[in-house]
Amino acid sequence: MLFRRIYQFLIVYSVAIAFLWMIKMGLSLSDYVIPGFSLVVETAGQVFKEYFFDVINTLSVAVLGQALSIVLAFTVGISGRKSSWIGSFIKVTAYNIQAYPIVALAPIIFILLGDGFIPRLMIASMICYFPLLLSVLGIMATPVENIEHFYIVTGRMRWQLEVKIRAFENLSKLTTVISGSATLAMAGTIVGEFIAANAGIGYSIRIALYQSDLAKILVALFMIGIIISIYQGILETLGEQMKSKWSISNGGEVL
Amino acid sequence: MRKIMFMFLLFLWVFLSAVPSFARTTQLNYRLKWLFNTSVAGDIYADAKGFFNDVGLNVTVKEGSPEKNAINELELGHADFGVASADQVIRALDKGAKIVVIAQLFQVNPMQWIYRTDKPEIKTLQDLKGRNIGITFGGNDETIMNTIFAKAGIARQEVTITGVRFDFTPFFKKKVDVWPVYRNSQGVILKDKLAKAGEDVYFFNPSDFGVNFVANSVITSADMLKNNPDIVEKFLSALLNGWEAAMDPANEADVLKAVKQKDKEANDEIRQKQLNATRSLIKPSAAMKIGTIDLPAWTQTEQMMLKERQIKKPVNIGSCLIQIK
Repeated sequence: MLFRRIYQFLIVYSVAIAFLWMIKMGLSLSDYVIPGFSLVVETAGQVFKEYFFDVINTLSVAVLGQALSIVLAFTVGISGRKSSWIGSFIKVTAYNIQAYPIVALAPIIFILLGDGFIPRLMIASMICYFPLLLSVLGIMATPVENIEHFYIVTGRMRWQLEVKIRAFENLSKLTTVISGSATLAMAGTIVGEFIAANAGIGYSIRIALYQSDLAKILVALFMIGIIISIYQGILETLGEQMKSKWSISNGGEVL
Repeated sequence: MRKIMFMFLLFLWVFLSAVPSFARTTQLNYRLKWLFNTSVAGDIYADAKGFFNDVGLNVTVKEGSPEKNAINELELGHADFGVASADQVIRALDKGAKIVVIAQLFQVNPMQWIYRTDKPEIKTLQDLKGRNIGITFGGNDETIMNTIFAKAGIARQEVTITGVRFDFTPFFKKKVDVWPVYRNSQGVILKDKLAKAGEDVYFFNPSDFGVNFVANSVITSADMLKNNPDIVEKFLSALLNGWEAAMDPANEADVLKAVKQKDKEANDEIRQKQLNATRSLIKPSAAMKIGTIDLPAWTQTEQMMLKERQIKKPVNIGSCLIQIK
């Protein structure tokens, strides 16, 4: 899974950069508009170490933000799963808040909280929280009737059991959503850093953009892509292992 | 049959009458560096008052932004003329772009620093010591301030540097003493806000201390200059006449009206103050002809960028500055 993620990314990146170089050659553009191969390699040599630590810095915020958003999404999703007034209120609020673009909210967050660690964490969590919440709400609000019916008629159903049944029956969906939200968390952190922060790869991209240095941006995109691929691959592998473990411990087949 | 013949003749008449009028005007795109506001009053006025049409040019003036870079657009053929700052031009030349500068709009760089009068006035560069100075990391102001530090022999430990962005809160809260602004846009707004709060400000202008970093200039491609010198000449004369008229205090009401059509953000009072501030940067003296290229300032800008390692090699900037008479 991990290696597949990495080579898939390498294929996509290579195709994209080859396309750029075709445009460069076709239109005889200078290195200012689209940097050539030697300039990209030279720039990579100069900024590789700096950008590597920048991406790791961004990733650490993204991972924390994602963890925070998972906890929040499950808390709110479980509370809002009932078709009660409060449940439907939570759902409607979640849909409405999702409609606001984060780039519009981010400057307000930075004005109120400054440009340290907390605003970056908040923006990362906000960007991946809503899609997660909607998936969790969808899963938790849908009964698994053939299993739940037995516990309901025997009077043994409790809310914890209901949540467990629905989570287990949709484990595949949940792991896909969680690993997918890693990209969103990373994108959210980069957006936050790009708008207003003083660290991370988003901040470095903004500086490169100030200087119209596309070579640096291409190197940064490569670093982001490769590291997020590794992170997603690890998450997916963990998800697969968890699914196997749950199935075997419950006497079933490997899913 | 007669109906078809009538339609054919009508089409022929429309076509023949349209061809000469098309041939009389040349369609051009002119990409600005930033959004429409008072600091591009001359560009707006030249367009609004038909200066381009008068010389047979049909020019579309397009506003810029960080993503809409005039140099890229010249190379990609999306624009014929544009506005770029000196650092953009020098970086592009360093990377092989074939562009030329045909006029320098700002004679004084609007990039300056604002600070409150409750701190002593900066009369010598040594007065910067001990202050908390805002810098946009990666921006022009970083290069300018680094040059100032080098010139004054100020070590980094002798000042506090704070990275800044669009949000002025650290300056309002007095966390940062000296804040970078564009003198004729943000500078006017900040000064006005602080005046309302009973505070007065000074501006720190690097060129007062011999640090001349060139700002916005009009550019075109080397091919355009070589193949269509007549169009370049017509465009530039119309543009600079528009700027001369826009900077004439006698036309102030008209200019403000034209700017207001494009810039809805600022209020009338702010726009007027911004126009006054722009006038002193574009045409610092009555004798100064708008568009004059300041070769020593360009050479100094190149030297600064070389020293700051923003370019790898000298670009011989003088050879790309074409002062069209």
